[in-house]
Amino acid sequence: MKHSIKAVLVLLAAVFLSAEIASAAKQKLIVYTSMKESLISSLKADFVKKNPDIDMDYQSAGAGKLMAKIATEKESGKIMADIIWTSEVPDFYQMKNDGILIKYKPQGSDQTINPLVGTDDYFRPARLGTLGIVYNTREIKTAPKTWKDLLNKEYKGAYSIANPALSGTSYVSVAMLQQVFGDQYFRDLRKNGAKVGKGSGQVVDDTASGELAASLGVDYITFDKIDKGATLAIAYPKEILMIPSPIAILKDTKSLPAAKKFIDYMMSKDAQQIVANNATLPVRKDVAVPTKYNLPSVDDAQKNGIKVDYVKMMSEKEARVKSFLDIMQK
Amino acid sequence: MNIVKKPGLSITNIILFISIGILVIFVAFPVLLILFNAFFGGGTLNVKDIVSVVSNPETYQALLNSVFIASGTTLFSTIVGTFFAWLVTRTDLPFKGFMKIVFLVPFMLPSFIGAIAWKMLLNPRAGYINRFFMDTLGFSDPVFNIYSYLGMMLVETMYLFPFVFIQVSGALERMDPTLEESARISGAGLFTITRKITIPLVLPSVISGALLIMLYSMAHFGTVAVLGMEHGIFNIPTLIYEKIHASAGNFQSIRTATVLASVLIISAACIIWLQRKVLGSGKYQIIGGKSFRPVELKLRGLRYPLLFICLGYIAFTILLPTLTIFLVGGLKTYGLPFTMENLSLANYHFVLFEWQLTKDAIFNSVTLGFAAAVITMFAGVMISYVLVKMKVRGKGILEFLGVLPFSVPGSVIALGVILAWSGKFGINLYNTVWIILVAYIARYMAFSLQANKAALSQVHDSLMEAAQACGATMGQTLKDIVLPLVRPGMLSAFFLIFLPALRELTVSVMLYSPATRTLGVAIYTLNEDGETVYSAALAGIALIIIVLGQLFIKKVLGAKQQ
Repeated sequence: MKHSIKAVLVLLAAVFLSAEIASAAKQKLIVYTSMKESLISSLKADFVKKNPDIDMDYQSAGAGKLMAKIATEKESGKIMADIIWTSEVPDFYQMKNDGILIKYKPQGSDQTINPLVGTDDYFRPARLGTLGIVYNTREIKTAPKTWKDLLNKEYKGAYSIANPALSGTSYVSVAMLQQVFGDQYFRDLRKNGAKVGKGSGQVVDDTASGELAASLGVDYITFDKIDKGATLAIAYPKEILMIPSPIAILKDTKSLPAAKKFIDYMMSKDAQQIVANNATLPVRKDVAVPTKYNLPSVDDAQKNGIKVDYVKMMSEKEARVKSFLDIMQK
Repeated sequence: MNIVKKPGLSITNIILFISIGILVIFVAFPVLLILFNAFFGGGTLNVKDIVSVVSNPETYQALLNSVFIASGTTLFSTIVGTFFAWLVTRTDLPFKGFMKIVFLVPFMLPSFIGAIAWKMLLNPRAGYINRFFMDTLGFSDPVFNIYSYLGMMLVETMYLFPFVFIQVSGALERMDPTLEESARISGAGLFTITRKITIPLVLPSVISGALLIMLYSMAHFGTVAVLGMEHGIFNIPTLIYEKIHASAGNFQSIRTATVLASVLIISAACIIWLQRKVLGSGKYQIIGGKSFRPVELKLRGLRYPLLFICLGYIAFTILLPTLTIFLVGGLKTYGLPFTMENLSLANYHFVLFEWQLTKDAIFNSVTLGFAAAVITMFAGVMISYVLVKMKVRGKGILEFLGVLPFSVPGSVIALGVILAWSGKFGINLYNTVWIILVAYIARYMAFSLQANKAALSQVHDSLMEAAQACGATMGQTLKDIVLPLVRPGMLSAFFLIFLPALRELTVSVMLYSPATRTLGVAIYTLNEDGETVYSAALAGIALIIIVLGQLFIKKVLGAKQQ
């Protein structure tokens, strides 16, 4: 028994080692992103096909998780990611201030829309996410029209917002709604039994199952499920929640050329077409979203989107998340 | 392991030295770093921070929740585990051998996967069971809300009671039946025998199993994370998890987490002290190796009804959730009805063969689990030997250190390991698979110690004394007497570590990097991200791997043992 175990241990060590050696030949690129598998995997496939000398790996997780990981990595002296791409805009201003980003102006950037101010080429949006009221069409027969519709009794105990501590889009959208409607709006929602969910995808899946009648949902996550047959729909009230998802290169990168190539690629028409085909607004005006997705137009989203001061949001995050959770979890 | 074969050397000293070394490096050091960071985070003793964390109603409530949920779980598990253990060892229940194996099956089902399944079955609005009662049977309200304290306690009980079951049925089997027989011959009735002989002999096992559950549940992340967090029910581990994410990128929060963890470390110390107090009064040694058939209670007319209850229990707690996981894993998207056109094997194919994330996760968990189990099994038997058989001063400290990691939330073990092994002290394992391995060794040492200590305490000193009286060296005694007798303990240590490590979540969710996701992490994060069907499909595959792993190991090791 003992001999066979020893043999297996040696084998294990060999496997671990060989795995590390095998990956050393190509340029390694690691992307930390909060984009879901459906989107990031198709982008990766296309990017790797166009750049066969780059071995790209990505970690897909909520923005909060990724930033916590970067924080511990920073503490341990080495940030592993080369690229960060999430929807938590304030984090990018923070990282820029912390000096852990590299300035880079990608090719073709003049063709792209950047609704963010003061980015100084340290980061730029790679897509424009929108959030709306995702509802289960088995439960809700008439589409909600305003954010206040969620205070009606058909949503009682059955509306949920993703946890802003876990999800960047959720944090930004909570901040937007708070700016327009005040904390009282969340208190009213809570009175109607609204809850805090987990990740931005889970609230949508729970809506699909009927556990929730509706949720604050992200466009491409919802449409991905609709395409697979879920009885969901998404409604956009007049005040649009449009959240750019910035992308940036981290300073510690050991693969700067590969990282630059990826940013260039993300601004290209091909990449933005993949973004649009995944039911999210592209940052290029020469790329169209398939008509089966009822997304607001880029112009509309820019005009009616709730404007927020992201720099201010950066310092307020902890307090704001706490006050939101205090209201919603009591 | 070769040291036992070298004659002449003072083997006991070497064993003692290595044991202390292992515990200090893998366990004490990270835990001390946690305490150090909690109390001296800013370089000086920072009482204000500690007071503000502990006196926060949120923290306080989470601590109460941890204790409350753990107490309920312990109570239910002890009742269920002891009852079933008694049924399969001391009664004439039909198909006992089979039932004994069946009761170990819940141990294979990870509790967070169970929690995910029960969420699908019993969430108030759309849970399949609740919907069945409301839509088909006309109930106006859901029958059960799984998002409740009772819901979490019951879910944890379903998957934790084997801790008690294994301990108690083992004790009942190994117990010398002549003790009971002599009492019977002396005219004592069943009740007196049970009260005066059986219960005192089995009580240490019951308490030790219950203690395992109490500590495990207090520090348990998965069930509360799946069922409680969204509904404002936090225990300490989930609060730590939430805290860390709430202040994205703020290293201060990791310190706050260490303060929270220190609260748990202290609670655990109290529980262990209490256990020693309870057990301290009596020491029972039962010579292993002798085997008689214990007297069985005749159940008579209750035989089949009780069998039916056992099978029903397993069907409800194991088959139903497992089936749910497999069915949901086959759906095109979550929320569709289970009809033929909605079900396919596409998700299984995707997570097994196409998705790099899930493929890596499976490989990582199998290799990590095996390595951790083997290393910890050998380390555990050595340390247990010091604790049980050697009379040395200060071994209480060793024992405490060995059980400590079990009582600290995995997420905080992970923090301790990050603090210790991320380059500050010369070795940087961060972001590699090795840091998870190191954390697993620390985390599962307690399992190995429990199993090996139980086995070693069954080896009567007289056996070793007899060997030495016959002229055997210490090494020969260990090799020819002790090791063969404790091999079952080592094997059970291996199982107790390998299978949980295979689907471990709490530690690895804090330590994973792009290349080192574990199976548990993949399942949990997919569920959290709303990829429910992929999460379920992967969970289904995890269950298959766990079951196959168990069968394979049993077969291989079982054959060699004979």
